[in-house]
Parts: sequence; structure tokens; C-alpha cells
Amino acid sequence: MFTAELLIQTLIAGVIIGVLYALMALGITFIYSIVKMINWSMGEFYMIGGYLQYLLIVEWLGADLWWVAAPLSALGVFLLGYLLEPLLIKPMFATAVERKDDYAIVVTIALLLMLRNLAAALGGPYQRTPGSNLPTVMLGPLPESGARFAAFLCALAAIVLFYLLLKKTWLGLALRAAAQSRIGAQTAGVDVFRLDQIAFGIGVGLAGLAGALLAPVFMVFPTSGAVTTVKGFEIIVIGGLGSIPGALIAGVLLGVVESLGASFISAPYQNVYGFLLVVLVLLVRPTGLFGERMRQA
Amino acid sequence: MLSVFRLAAAGIALLATMIAVQAADPVVIGLEIPLSPPGDPASGQLIRRGGELAIEYINGPMGGVLPDRKAALAVQDSQGRTESGIAAYRRLVTEDRAVGVTGFFHSSVNLAVNEVAKELGVPTMATQASASDITAKRYDVAFRTHAIDPLRVAAFLEFIKLKKFKRIAMLAETTDYGIGIAEETEKQSKEQKLGLELMTVTFDHGSTDLTPLLLQVKAFKPDLVINIGVGQPMDLMIEQAATLGITPQTPMLVSYDAPIRPQFWQLHPKTGAGLYYIAYYSPKQKLSDAGDWLTKAYEAKYNESPVYSSLNGFGDVLIFAQAVKQAHSTDPKAVIKALETGRFKSWTSSPVTFPRADGVFFHNWSPPILILQYTSANQDWKTADVIVEHAGTQ
Repeated sequence: MFTAELLIQTLIAGVIIGVLYALMALGITFIYSIVKMINWSMGEFYMIGGYLQYLLIVEWLGADLWWVAAPLSALGVFLLGYLLEPLLIKPMFATAVERKDDYAIVVTIALLLMLRNLAAALGGPYQRTPGSNLPTVMLGPLPESGARFAAFLCALAAIVLFYLLLKKTWLGLALRAAAQSRIGAQTAGVDVFRLDQIAFGIGVGLAGLAGALLAPVFMVFPTSGAVTTVKGFEIIVIGGLGSIPGALIAGVLLGVVESLGASFISAPYQNVYGFLLVVLVLLVRPTGLFGERMRQA
Repeated sequence: MLSVFRLAAAGIALLATMIAVQAADPVVIGLEIPLSPPGDPASGQLIRRGGELAIEYINGPMGGVLPDRKAALAVQDSQGRTESGIAAYRRLVTEDRAVGVTGFFHSSVNLAVNEVAKELGVPTMATQASASDITAKRYDVAFRTHAIDPLRVAAFLEFIKLKKFKRIAMLAETTDYGIGIAEETEKQSKEQKLGLELMTVTFDHGSTDLTPLLLQVKAFKPDLVINIGVGQPMDLMIEQAATLGITPQTPMLVSYDAPIRPQFWQLHPKTGAGLYYIAYYSPKQKLSDAGDWLTKAYEAKYNESPVYSSLNGFGDVLIFAQAVKQAHSTDPKAVIKALETGRFKSWTSSPVTFPRADGVFFHNWSPPILILQYTSANQDWKTADVIVEHAGTQ
């Protein structure tokens, strides 16, 4: 079935889910660009953000104060990441670990399993939702849930704020310096270990923010982060590892391709269209749409 | 010579000790349930509650299983995955020495396990898995006490005829359960020449955003949407269909009894009213004395009424215990023979039997199938309107 209205509705739905995907991917790409490691437990920080949002709203604040709960949840996840980084990630750089990539994979996958099982043990396996009192909004011909539209706007705002943090502040300058050359930044007197800790906290905090914003939309449960991790990795491959504009554009592209494919080709393969896009991008531009070739000594 | 006698005496003593230990060993009944996603852990926990209370009943009012041997439950998590389900079955059979394994909720898990059970010989009993092939394959080891697809779909069609619906949209997850029900609906509606316009949309069980699919459904302008998702996708579909304005104008029928669970109204405070759903138990039904015992024990322990998952979890464990008792043996072949020839008490007032009947009805017993409707928010499931009552295989 194909109509112009259905096409427009599907495109709008794709753009909205795409921006939300982008927020999920931003943390992964940011941590990689600074700390030079892939964090496989990113989805679990997304899940923790969702649980914090649920707790804050249900136990203390109520659904009307979701906008207070969301940054608090992100802050909570930031602090968790900030405290975990010296314990789990720093030893990779501070000691003579030979195969840093292997170390990062093992440590972050172990963290993934631990956090997932901890969530199941503490909160049970059930789905939960903090609920939302936001009314449905009309985006052209598409009715959209208030919670999802609010998450979309907040995700856009968070991406802009994050971009300004990197471009307009001293911390951003230091982070960009470390991203370009850790040794160069160290030579200039920047404490890169401290930056790693901050970058890890910010990266997982972004995932936590995504989890908090999407808690009323996709619900919260111990494995709710699994899908976000997969989408996040698809996005950073499409957009280019380490590129923030790349993450945003790739997120939207992925959302639109999945929505159009599910609507007009075949719905059961909704998750396959993203992988096809990844393959296509890798064939045409192996570094991703906005990625740059790097030389390593 | 004396040392030979001493050695023989020591051997006899050791043998006697081993026999005594074996005599004291409990008769283990295996429970394989989804306790973590992507399975449906809420159902798994409810089945477990029933299974645990069944053990109390067997060792208490029922008077045990075999002389000097009490019953015990061994529980494994299938996670709703076939590979985990097979591993769980193997552990229950080889490590726990289970005489039978029940609790199956996800059809795909039950189907996969039955292929292994066929080799290992220890019987399985589907508690809430409804795919036809579970019993239609006619494996000696496979039994079921749950509504099967043909009966469930017959109830759907009775409801559709009652409401005079003509355009039906089915959203089915791509699992044995989802595809099985969608195909059976298409088959029976053709056989009955109901003149229905059916739209079938399938989706991956792991999908989180069903908006593109629901937009297709909305454009189809159906009279009824049948929600054939299990767990998270079922819940997401209820919410996302309401957002897109499909429901409540177009009614939705949920294909299993998830809405009776305590957390349903926490997840759907604004979108649950008006929903139709399949159920297999109503408090207005007459229960057996064991069913009455369970209801009282459950309410005392959990401070809420038992739901079908718990009742059937209880019943299935009880049936295995009775089969062992009737067989006077824990040998799997003897247990299977007892299941095929015996009459068993479960939670329902009528006895349970497993005849070697044709097709999907082989080794299958089904409770009555009800279609209920919530008419207001936060409604207690016990007061939901009964729209259709379709007979099971009693």
C-alpha cells in the first residue's frame, strides 16, 4: 500500500527515531574519539538512565517533572561512569597493557553482563514505564506521542549543547586536543587521564540521557539497552567513528531507511535494512560518511 | 579369608547406604520457564509460583509421590531462546534427573526442546506454548495442557462473527507463535468462507519501533486489529497504536492473557480500557479441590488471586506427580504410558486426559478459551466482561 500521506508519515517517523538513535550513538563515538576504545556496555548505561528516570518519577517527582528527572538521571549515569573509569579503563593506559583493544573488549563486555544481571536482580525482569502526561502532538499528518516528541526535541538540544561544549569551552578544547593526539596534549600539559575520566562520564551520561528520555516510549527492563548498542554501532560505522555531525546524519539516515523499508518493502526485515546500509557505506566509503583516515605509528 | 569377608561386608554396607540415599532422593519435576528477556519473564514468574505451590500440595494434601520419596522442583531459565531452552532441558534431565519437564511458555523453545526430548526420552508438557507442531508432530514425549492455535483462532473467529467485523489487520511477531496463529487465522477464515479481508503484517520480536507497521495498518482502515506479539512488542503495540489514533476507535484483540497481570495497568493506564483479550480462566469457573487449595494458598502467599499461568503451572507439575504415582516408577517410558492412559486431576473441575488423537489434538488437553474486555481503566480482570466462551477439549 503506497500513498503520499503514508510516505510523509513514514519519513517524519523515521527522522524522529533517527535523531533518538543519534543521541544513543553520540556517547559511543565520543568515548572512542577521546579514550580510543569501544565501550560495549554503552547500552547498559542507557538502561540505567531509564531505571533512574523511572525511580525519580515514580518515587519522588511525578510524571509532570520528567524534565527535571531526565538531566538528574543523566547526571547519575555520568557520576557512575566517572567513578568506574579509574577502576576499569585507566589501567589500560596507566600500565603497560600490550593489547589495549582486547583489554577494552573484555572489560566492557564483563561490565555489560554485570550491569544487566544487577538490574535483573535488583529490579526484577519486568517491564516498567515512568508514564507520561504529555499530550499527543500532530506533526503534519503524523500523530506522535508527546513523550517521543519531547525526547526528540531534548535529543536535538543535547546534541547542540554537546557540540557547543566541545567548540566553545576550554574543556572542549582540551578534549579535542586529546582526540587529535594524546601525546601532543600531554606534552602541552593536559592531564589526559583526567580527561579520559571526564570523557567516559560524559559519553555514558549521554547514553543515560537517551535512556531517561525514552523510558516512557520504549519501557525499561534489564536488556532494554541491547538494541541501542547495535543501533549505536551501526550509526558510528555509517557516520564515521569519532564524528559528531556524522552520528547525527547517520542516525537520521538509519531511522529513515528502516522506516521506509519496514513500510514499503517488508516489515520483518526492519533491522536488516540498517545492516544493508552499513555494508553499502563500507563498500563506497570504508571510513564512514564523515570519518577520516588516521595514521598510527 | 577374613579380609575378604571384611571387604564384602564393607561393600554391602556401602551399597545399602547408596540405596538408602537413593530412596530418600526426591522425585524431581523440571520447570523450564522464561525468567529473563527476550523471553517473557512475567509469565515465567507466574508459572513458577504455581509450580512451587504444586510441590507443597503434592508433599502435603496429596501425600507424596512414591513411598519415602517427596517431590521437588528444579527450575531453569529458557530466556525465550531456543539454544538456552535446549541447554536448560539437558541440565534438568542429566543433572537434576527430572522425570518430566514442564513450564514451557514460548512455542519456539518448546519445539526445539522436543527434538532433543525425542532422543533423551524424558517427557515435556507445554504449559502455555500453543504452536500446533508441538503436538501435531506426534512425538511420544510431547504433551500439552494449553489452548492450541486452532482452538484459539476458532475463538477469534467466533468473536469476529459476533461483532460482524470484516476487515481484520493482524500484526504478528516472526516466531512460531506469531506466524502459527496468523496462518491458522487465514486458513480457518477461508475454510469457513467468512469473506474477511485479512491484512497480515509480521515483525521481528526484537523490534522496538512499530510505528511504520502501524501506519500501514491505519491506512488499511481495519475493523479489528489482532495484536499477536508476546511481552514487550505486545505492550509497545498497545501504546503506539493508541498514539497513532488506531485505538480506541478500532478495537484491538490481544492474542493471550497478558492483560490480566498485575503490572498491566501500570504499563497501560490510559490505553488499556476497551481492549479485548484472550483468557483461559475466569473466577466464575468451578475448580477442582486441588484448584481451590491453590487459590487459597496463592492468595495467602502473594496477596492476590492466581491467574491462568500460575494455575496451569500448578496443574502441570501436579499431573507429572500423579503420572509417577500411577506408574509406580520414575522411568520415563512408564511415566509416558501413565500419561497416555490415565486421568489426572488439575485445577479445573474436569479431569485431564492425553489421548493419542489425530493431528494437533495428539496428547493435548485444552482449557476453555474466553475473550474478555476491559471496559474501564484500572479494572480488575476478575470483573472484565466475558464476550466469548469457547469450549476447550474437555
